[in-house]
Amino acid sequence: MSMDATAGVSAANVPLQCSDIHRYLGEAESRVHVLRGVSLQLQPGCVHAIVGPSGCGKSSLLYVMGLLDRPDGGRIALSGEAVEGLTDDQVSCRRNEHIGFVFQFHFLMHEFTAQENVMIPMRRLGRLGVREMQERAAMLLEMVGLGDKTRRNSQHLSGGEQQRVAIARSLANDPQVLLADEPTGNLDTANSERVFQLLTNLVRQQRKALLLVTHNLLVAEASDWIHEMRDGLLTGCRAGRPH
Amino acid sequence: MPPPLFIAIRFIGYRKKAILLSLTGVILGVAFYICAQAQTQGFEQFFIKGTLGSSGAIIIGNRFQSLHTAILDRQGGTMVNVSHAKPRKFYEGITDPERIMRAVNEFSSVTACAPVLEGSAALATDFRQEVFRVQGIDLGLHLKASALREHIVAGRIEDFQEKPSGLILGYGLADKMRAQVGQDVGLIGPDGEYRTFRICALFQTGNLTIDEKFGYIHLKAAQSLLQRPYGISHLMVKLRDPARAPAVAAHFERLFQHRARCWQDRERGSLEIFSLIRISAAITVSTVILLAGFGIFNILTLMVMDKVREIAVLRSMGYRRSDISAIFLWQGVLVALIGSALGCVLGAALTYGISQIPVDIKGFLSAKRFLVHWSVMDYCAATVIAFVAIFLASYFPSRRAARLAPVDILRGSGQ
Repeated sequence: MSMDATAGVSAANVPLQCSDIHRYLGEAESRVHVLRGVSLQLQPGCVHAIVGPSGCGKSSLLYVMGLLDRPDGGRIALSGEAVEGLTDDQVSCRRNEHIGFVFQFHFLMHEFTAQENVMIPMRRLGRLGVREMQERAAMLLEMVGLGDKTRRNSQHLSGGEQQRVAIARSLANDPQVLLADEPTGNLDTANSERVFQLLTNLVRQQRKALLLVTHNLLVAEASDWIHEMRDGLLTGCRAGRPH
Repeated sequence: MPPPLFIAIRFIGYRKKAILLSLTGVILGVAFYICAQAQTQGFEQFFIKGTLGSSGAIIIGNRFQSLHTAILDRQGGTMVNVSHAKPRKFYEGITDPERIMRAVNEFSSVTACAPVLEGSAALATDFRQEVFRVQGIDLGLHLKASALREHIVAGRIEDFQEKPSGLILGYGLADKMRAQVGQDVGLIGPDGEYRTFRICALFQTGNLTIDEKFGYIHLKAAQSLLQRPYGISHLMVKLRDPARAPAVAAHFERLFQHRARCWQDRERGSLEIFSLIRISAAITVSTVILLAGFGIFNILTLMVMDKVREIAVLRSMGYRRSDISAIFLWQGVLVALIGSALGCVLGAALTYGISQIPVDIKGFLSAKRFLVHWSVMDYCAATVIAFVAIFLASYFPSRRAARLAPVDILRGSGQ
């Protein structure tokens, strides 16, 4: 873990942090200690990249920090609020409101248009009326450069466009934290660059915290902070060279 | 609209052919259920209507010997040993029918009460002679207590009213005897004396046991024919609500010390057969709905397997386990709703179509058309069966979907 990445940020202003996280996977003889006391704080307006070899625990850390998985030990705090002891439903509500996920594969629902896909998290939150949700979804799609394809069925979009819809969807409820698991891993170079640029711009403009797991060294180098991970531990943290 | 319902509406289009097939199963199952129940109940209701119309809801018959229950009741729950108990004695006919009729008519549940003297006599025509059951009636009272007027299929009841030696014969009996309205026939009572009666009208209840065995003459003529002056064999009671007949009959029996039999008791054998047929039809036809439910179970189970990534992503977006479960339950509800609604419409159309089919049934019951009974309860029952079957069919896949661990799916996902 690096203290440099969070220097000067008070605990209440840390959108997401974890400390001494342990996670085991598997049963009996095949039980593996995938996270061995990981601590990390995300800064608002910063892109944090986690790099490391396959199987080192990058995605496991992302899922635990995204409240999709429960750690076997350690603490997680979302905007200063500890999430231990929350029920599954309460955790789901926090996730819906405060965290946006982007995966390697877009995972859009083919039964819905691009706009409807973006509206799905908003429907769960239930704060906006249908018209407001439609307007916000259209605005988010406009922001990712798909303003003219809001009514298009998601399966009739290209791979890059689908991933941009997924980014718009992750921003649906205006979360403070974005978690991206190899968001460019399934895209060609041009689309990779575009998607990464889009994410970093959003983070900077809207003061969100982005934690991304990547194997792409160019993407990692362009992040604000690069966390190196090995055998379930964060072994180092250094500043990147953002454009 | 709840978010799970919104998603369910879109998901239901997945595997369109399979879902349409199951939906068709539900529609047909509900329709067949309604149709089968309408038919079985149609014949049952026809039979009940005939029974009530010809014999009334309650028949107050023979007087019986008072039991010592009052003495036993006074013992206040202490053990009493009754030795050498003898069976209850019955005395034929009604004692003081006027008094009992007055008392019966005081009951608000009673709409009419009529005296009847029933006995056996021989009916003689030029063609043949046959023993039948003759009932002596007070026409005015009998018309109030029975459906005799509606049952008349030939001749005029007024002719019978005017003629002291008038006779109303069952249609089946007249047919057997080749007797017609206006024909003079002979009735031979227990004394062997031949008396001439004129057939004024023919009745048909649709119940062959009545139509082939019974005939009506005036009460005075019957008392003379059967040699029972002033005698009344039973009182026929019409109730506002025939369903309450068992309770009212039990009360009458205690009150008047005369045997009182409700129509449910008198026709128990036939009613049980109808009930068995109805249950059997319901079980048989329900299997169609159950099969459709099994189809929906398969579809939803496959859908859960195919949609694991969508489920995981929904969970990552903050959808709760109950939301995921609701998505699949809503699909079941939608199929049940559409299936039941269309099934009810189809069931009503089929029932109407069947009721228009001309038939010539002559047997236990006689009818010229298929008999159907329109009952809202059948529609409700079919809908409930469809909902229960489909709820069970969607519950298990929905539970399975809700239990999926999103991380396991996301870790192993790829395209």
